[in-house]
Formats: sequence, structure tokens, C-alpha cells
Amino acid sequence: MAEQQQDSTEEALIKAPAIALQEIGGFGRNFLLEVGSMFWFIVHTFEEMIERVRDGRVPFRAVSFFRHAARAGVESVPLVALVSFFLGLTMALLTGYQLQRFGTERLVPGLVSISFTRELGPLLTGIMLAARIGASFTAELGTMQVSEEVEAIEAMGIGPLRFLVAPRMLALFFLMPCLSTISNISAIFASSLISKAYFSIAFPYFLDLVRDSLLIRDLITGVFKSFMFGLLIAAIACYRGLNVKGGAAGVGTATTSSVVTAITVVIGVDTLYNIVYVNFFPT
Amino acid sequence: MSDKPPHIAELRDAVMQFDDKKVLDDCSLSVEPEDRLVIMGQSGSGKSTILRLILGILKPNSGSVFFKQFEITRLKRRKLQQVRRQIGMVYQYSALLSSRDVRDNVALPLEELTDKSRAEIDKVVDEKLDLVGMKDAKNQMPSELSGGMKKRVSLARALVMDPELILFDEPTAGLDPVIASVIDELIISLTEKSKVTSIIVTHEMESAFRIGTRMAMLYQGKIIEDAEPETFKQSQNPVVRQFLSGSTEGPILEGSQDAIAKK
Repeated sequence: MAEQQQDSTEEALIKAPAIALQEIGGFGRNFLLEVGSMFWFIVHTFEEMIERVRDGRVPFRAVSFFRHAARAGVESVPLVALVSFFLGLTMALLTGYQLQRFGTERLVPGLVSISFTRELGPLLTGIMLAARIGASFTAELGTMQVSEEVEAIEAMGIGPLRFLVAPRMLALFFLMPCLSTISNISAIFASSLISKAYFSIAFPYFLDLVRDSLLIRDLITGVFKSFMFGLLIAAIACYRGLNVKGGAAGVGTATTSSVVTAITVVIGVDTLYNIVYVNFFPT
Repeated sequence: MSDKPPHIAELRDAVMQFDDKKVLDDCSLSVEPEDRLVIMGQSGSGKSTILRLILGILKPNSGSVFFKQFEITRLKRRKLQQVRRQIGMVYQYSALLSSRDVRDNVALPLEELTDKSRAEIDKVVDEKLDLVGMKDAKNQMPSELSGGMKKRVSLARALVMDPELILFDEPTAGLDPVIASVIDELIISLTEKSKVTSIIVTHEMESAFRIGTRMAMLYQGKIIEDAEPETFKQSQNPVVRQFLSGSTEGPILEGSQDAIAKK
């Protein structure tokens, strides 16, 4: 009996790497499938829009675009500005104290402005919008999916991707760079207050330092990233919303999954972008 | 394409399987112009699936589905969207867009799919809402309407593109008998007036015999009886007999969990 047990344990141990490999394989397969369907989701949305434009009609109503732009963009301004303001304050304060020891606190304006325009502005805005707007897009479309509204739209012969997804996607695509610019300005303004109060850097001098350290390519990088994040967040949120299964609980799960996926993707894509950027366009 | 079907809609040997459950099993059915075909069957027997196959929202695992001369199963997305404009669908739970008021719900297909001006759209919307007796509720939101009112608005929305075929998914389920009769009469008068063909899915006997000019019974994925109402009533098929009488004794419950529990 004891021998038999030992045998089966050994057998399991021999099998274990195979099982682990299978699990990893399965996970990888699902991941790639998901990435693939997300990619085609974006492609089909643009396809439906282009078909519509070819027919000589607008892909969606301007009202619909502006409604989403107001909700996703304009109404996010206070949140983005406030969070960036706090982060700007903290960053200037903490780095300033460290730099002061070496007598280089006048590097603070450059540090804050470079890190925000190039990195933190778009990233922070992306994370905040993924939570604020991604969740609402997923919940809204998910509820429509559950109550057969999406199917009804499809049954009328209206493309749900162009009618429901396109205005949301484009609204976030165009509004995201505006919001990350607001984030940049807000953080730089905050650091100017700290610089003045703690490190005696007057505003005009602060502005000079900022201007000296800012590079056009950093600004362009930041804006480009923001466009990309906007598109990704909206696509993930809408995709999750339209694929809801299983009633109210399904909407809840999809919303959580949408926010988690969007935040992870934003940070992941940002890292990937930076690696490519640093390797191919070294300073 | 020599055997072009003269029917408005047709299912040919359609097989539809969800996971391991075969909902339709070589199901064939055809609908002639100006028919009011009632499809009856147990809950979950795949009646609504037939409607979704005709709309092209679901694709059969095998077999084909036709709407007029179009083979729905082979149409590209764009063509399918154009064909769908000739079909209206009234959902069981109405499926009105909850963020738009009644007027905007009914106007949606016109706004999105035609080049009509706002005034023209308003005229058509008024006309259709008047047909279903909902003109006064024009500015109300769907959440403010009762089940029967929602159904009527949903019917107006299905009618707004002047379709050739209207699909009704349980049009009277969950409504009180009086409103159910109102909806039934509405379906009859509308289809008679505008010469539309309709397919009605229901398991409510009374309403089925009131509306139908043809009845079909779906059982275990197949149409087991397809006849005029009078002939249908006289059917000797044990499943149809049991379904019509609502008895618990018979082939329908045999072997099912319910029957075992009952015994």
C-alpha cells in the first residue's frame, strides 16, 4: 500500500512539469486569443466607420461624440487636475529636500516638468480615466447587452460597433491628450508653489528652468502616448462591455475586469514604449 | 440557384447547438407571404433561436436560412445589415434603449438608416405611435412605461422601416389578459392592414389561436406539426395533444427531472 502511494507520488512528480507547462500554455493561448480579439474589435470598429463614410454618411452623430467627450473629458478635468496637483506638490517637496543637501534644488522644476510631460502625465491620466471612464463605459454597454438593447440595435441593421463604440473610442482618443496636458500643467504649477515656498525659486526663474529643460521630443512622446492610451482604454472598456455574459453579476465582473485590464495594459504598453523609445531613439 | 425559395423566410435542415445542447436538430420551416405563423413549444425549446437565425444574429452549425432570395447564412456583414432593415423584431422584454425617450427610440432606425429630415421622421414616428396608440407617451422614458406600453412602443419601432417580415418574441408574455388581447388585435390589424408577414413565438395558447393563420410546434429541435389552426387543434400527435391540454401525463415530461420529482 505504502509502495503504491510512493509510486503515485513519483508519477505525479514526473507529470507535474508537464501539467505546469500545460497550464502556462493554456494561459498563453487565452492571453493571445484575447489580444487578437481586442485587435480585431478595434479594426472592425474602424471598418464599420469607413464603410459608413464611403456611403456618404456620417459614422455617428456629432451630438453623440460631444456627449461622450463632455462626460469622459470635460468632467474628468477636476479629478485629473487635483490628483496631478497633489503629485506635483509631493514630488517637488521630496526631491527638493534630497537635492537641497547637494545644493542642487534648482533641478526641481526640470525634474518635475520632464517626468510629467514625458511619463507621469499620460500614465497618471491613463490610470485615472481607466478607472473613471473605462468602468462607466463597460457598465453602460454591459447593461445594454444584458437587456438585449445591443442585439436590438443589431437587428435593426445598425452596426453596433460604429453606433455605440466608435463615438466613445474617438471621444477618449481625442480627449486623452488634452487631459494629460492639463495634468502636466497642474503638476508643474504645484511644483512651482513648492519651489517658491521651500526653495526660494521665484516664478520667473522657475519658468526659465522649466523652459530650459523641456524638450519638444518629450512633449511629442507624451502626447503620442496619450492618444494611444485613450484608444486602448476605450477599446478595452467597450470590448468588455459588449462581451458581458450572465446578467447583473456579469456586468460587475466585466467592469472589474475592464478596469484591471485597462490599468495593466496602460502601464504595460507604457513600459514597452519606453523600452523601444530608449533603445531606438537614445538621447 | 435554380431552386430559389418563393418563401419569405425559410430554414433548411438547420442545426443549432449551444455547448452540448442541441437546440435545433435538422429543423426545417418555411413562411409564406402574409402568413401569421405561430411557433409554439416549451420554454427553452429553441423558438427564439429560430427568430435569431432569421435575423442572422446567430449562425446555425449547419443547414441554411433564407430571407426571400437571400441566404442569410452566407451574407457579408454589410449586406446582412441591409437585409435586416426589411425585418422588424419585437423582443420579449421590448429591448427599448433605456437612455432614449419613446420618440427617439422609434426614430432611431430612421435617423440612422435613412436620409429623412427631422420633420419627415417626426411624421412617420407620430404615425406609427398613433397606430399602436402610444402617441401621448412620445416624450416619456422607457422606465416610466408599463410592460404593455413598452411592447407597443417596441412594435412601433419594428414597424417604422415598413418591414416585410415582423418577428415577435413572446409578445404577450407577462401581460394581463386584457392588454394581451389588445396586443394580439394590434398584431392582427397591423399585419392585415400593411400586408406584412409575421412570425410569432409564444407558448400562450389563447393568444396563439387568436393570432395565427398557421401553427407550428417545435419539439426536441424539430417542427413536429405545421398546420392551419383548426387542423392543428385536431392533431393526433401525442406531443401536440399534451401541449394543447397542458396535461402532465404524456411524452413531454417523460424522462425529465420534473417527471421524476413528481413521481
